[in-house]
Amino acid sequence: MKQLLLNSTLNQRLAAVALVLGALAVVAGDPYQGHSATIDAKELSIIVQKEVDHVSPLELADWIIKGRADYRLIDLRAEKEFAAYAIPGAENVPVATLTDHGLMKNEKIVLCSEGGIHSAQAWMLLRSLGHSGVYILRGGVEGWNDEVLFPTLADNADAATRIEFAKTAEVSKYFGGSPRTGGGPVAATRPVIAAPKLDTPAGTVPAAGAKKKKKEGC
Amino acid sequence: MNAPFFKFGLFNDEVSLIVAVVIGIGFGFFLERAGFGSARKLAAQFYFTDMTVLKVMFTAIVTAMLGVYFLSVLGFVDLSLVYLTPTNLMPQVVGGLLLGFGFVIGGYCPGTSCVSAATGRTDGWVYLGGIVAGILVFGEAFPLIETFYNSTPMGQLTLAQLTGIPYGILVFAVVVMAIGAFMAADWGEKVMAAKKGGKA
Repeated sequence: MKQLLLNSTLNQRLAAVALVLGALAVVAGDPYQGHSATIDAKELSIIVQKEVDHVSPLELADWIIKGRADYRLIDLRAEKEFAAYAIPGAENVPVATLTDHGLMKNEKIVLCSEGGIHSAQAWMLLRSLGHSGVYILRGGVEGWNDEVLFPTLADNADAATRIEFAKTAEVSKYFGGSPRTGGGPVAATRPVIAAPKLDTPAGTVPAAGAKKKKKEGC
Repeated sequence: MNAPFFKFGLFNDEVSLIVAVVIGIGFGFFLERAGFGSARKLAAQFYFTDMTVLKVMFTAIVTAMLGVYFLSVLGFVDLSLVYLTPTNLMPQVVGGLLLGFGFVIGGYCPGTSCVSAATGRTDGWVYLGGIVAGILVFGEAFPLIETFYNSTPMGQLTLAQLTGIPYGILVFAVVVMAIGAFMAADWGEKVMAAKKGGKA
């Protein structure tokens, strides 16, 4: 054996190493990690506690108005609901198809659902699969309706709140909503208003699905 | 820390360009050391008198494959982030044939023509000029061939997905294939050398 090794040329030794590694590969398994997942429970619990993974509806509205394109807004609701109304720039990805949608691990992803439960569940799913930049739209589409499209100013609001509300009202109008004043101390019942069908303002927001993967390669 | 580093945002666009320059110079250096700055050496591959191209390419493929495979299995590389060029079968077959014709006629492929030009060979510069002219024609004619360019799309495909054979077995098969090709190349070179010697 030793004699064989001494007599072989460098090329033959390298070939032997390659052959051994190749043979090892047969039993070493799949290099793609697949759908199994690992999580760092401590890290995730701190993120949840500190709420750093939240995006408020007004923040998101601000991003859309500024035409920011560094995030993907993923709407987890069913197709029918998505068709009825969707936040400008949103992509419709029902939860079951989330892992097959080709989301990249380095992308900033904002999740929204009707309320917040599906978003939270999908957040955990994506975090466990190694996506690091996953955020939840606080309150989901309902929160968007309440805070952006139909914000309400209470009658007894102080001056500071009124000034703040004036800004919010502008944002609301931008998205085709209608701010309301005089809804009582607290808006006890939210009147059912059909959300207006919005067209994405031209040139400011990337249309859903328009965000193609960056071409790269050699 | 996991690779690919750029995709995880460990360095930015500017740094990635510097890294690209370093890798590119290294790539060119080893091509030159393999003798690929010479069109004679490259063209000899197609006459089976010098199988260096095949040996260098297979060595690179096997080394890279084993490296990427084991680093991914051990968890150092996230393969799902490594870009795969999407397959468009027919346009790529035609493109491959065109590149092959050019390779035989000119004696260079795009990378080796840069090596040749960098080492001061005139034919390398002529070849580079041809590449630039070709890019210009392709760009200008693109609207005419766009439909064909995008035809027969098959997505980002790997051999394992296409054949259903597990990755590990494919890795082993490629290693065996490479070693077989090396042995065949050595044998072929001897045969061709004997033929040449017999004639002279």
